[in-house]
Amino acid sequence: MLTQAPHPVPAVQSIPHVRIEGLNKWFGALHVLKNIDLSVGAGARIVVCGPSGSGKSTLIRCINGLEPFQKGTIQFEAATLDKDGRDTSKARRQTGMVFQSFNLFPHLTVLANCTLALRRVLLKPAREAEEIAMRHLTAVHIPEKAQAYPAQLSGGQQQRVAIARALCLNPRIMLFDEPTSALDPEMIKEVLDVMIALAGSGVTMVCVTHEMGFAREVADEIVFMDEGRIVEHASSRDFFSRAAHPRARLFLDTILSN
Amino acid sequence: MGFNLDFALSTVPTIIGAIGTTLIATVLSCVGASVLGFTFEMIRRGGGATGLAVRFLIDFIRSTPVLAWLYFLYFVLPFYGIRLGAMTVGILGLSLYYSGYLAEVFKAGIDAIPRGQQEAARALSLTRRDTVVFVIAPQMLRNVAAPLGNYLVSILKATPYLAILAVPEMLGRAFDIASETYRYAEPLTVAGILFLALALLTSYGVKRIEQRLLAAGRR
Repeated sequence: MLTQAPHPVPAVQSIPHVRIEGLNKWFGALHVLKNIDLSVGAGARIVVCGPSGSGKSTLIRCINGLEPFQKGTIQFEAATLDKDGRDTSKARRQTGMVFQSFNLFPHLTVLANCTLALRRVLLKPAREAEEIAMRHLTAVHIPEKAQAYPAQLSGGQQQRVAIARALCLNPRIMLFDEPTSALDPEMIKEVLDVMIALAGSGVTMVCVTHEMGFAREVADEIVFMDEGRIVEHASSRDFFSRAAHPRARLFLDTILSN
Repeated sequence: MGFNLDFALSTVPTIIGAIGTTLIATVLSCVGASVLGFTFEMIRRGGGATGLAVRFLIDFIRSTPVLAWLYFLYFVLPFYGIRLGAMTVGILGLSLYYSGYLAEVFKAGIDAIPRGQQEAARALSLTRRDTVVFVIAPQMLRNVAAPLGNYLVSILKATPYLAILAVPEMLGRAFDIASETYRYAEPLTVAGILFLALALLTSYGVKRIEQRLLAAGRR
């Protein structure tokens, strides 16, 4: 006999790694983020999408304190970001960031790009830092370029190095800000493949991207933003089959028809 | 009274004897101006009241003649109990004067670094100091190698100003010979050629360093 009403338990729902509550941000008079609430559970793979100017990049940049905000909180396990930004460095230590334009340090070799923070922030000795860096460079399939400089690499290779560099600090959550938007089409796949493998290894990730194929394959949640609001937040399957918001439907129709 | 080559050659040892003073003044002034200029630029970048003060200081330095600085340091400071040797005042004066210009050079070199570099450094939790030392300064040096080199040659060519403080550098020594012998063409020509040689050598060295710096990012 059923004594308890069965209730749906989402696949991943442990303690959230990050809980965003009532986040509001203005650029001057422009209200770019409006009452954003979002929980990122451990191991969650969230894709944030939406038309350009909808605030998705700004949201992800708020999470690691690159953008200050005026209202609301972003809670990590051991740090809380608010408008004063006191915990910024603590919060930042828990996040890894991958930028659209890679932002590798051009004067340093691939290996040195990866070991810099290991040595200066985590204070690892040189040998250990190099071992950790090589492990991550191997994971993104580029260990043979360790001694190369960024300018000698293709865009796809640079972005894979950037992913390895961010992983070196062992972040609890990886943030991707349109990681494939600056890439030539033939290089997008090699970066997405690395991200798919990363997702498979259980890393928590929040990814701003227009790559809906990737979203469908990897994401377990999709967040759709429009004009600074989250207008749709659904499981990947629900989002693609029955997104409710007209703006999301329009977005999907446009993107999927291409 | 034509140009007497034998007399010219006879002045060479005396004038070359002052090359050490010229080089020491040049090298120390270059180091002083670079360190001061970079420090000024960092403080100016930091903003706030100190940043504003340094901004005015940089503009003030750049708007005053270098001779005024040398006279001021040499003749006015002693009234306040600060007595410095002629060489020290010379190096201090040139360092201060050129620091104003180098601060501007460093500013341009830093402004040219893409914003994403600082963001990447922040995202990697590097401290402000580490960001400057490991990310900003090396890229800045690469950007400013050419104009920085020009100013270093300028400093070399500005060392004869120290003659007014009776620092025995090359041009001063040449002028001493001229005053004693009433022959100006030969010693001044010799000093001019030596300066030319030093300046060319410095430019060549700077160019080599510049090429190596540029190569490091483009290999």
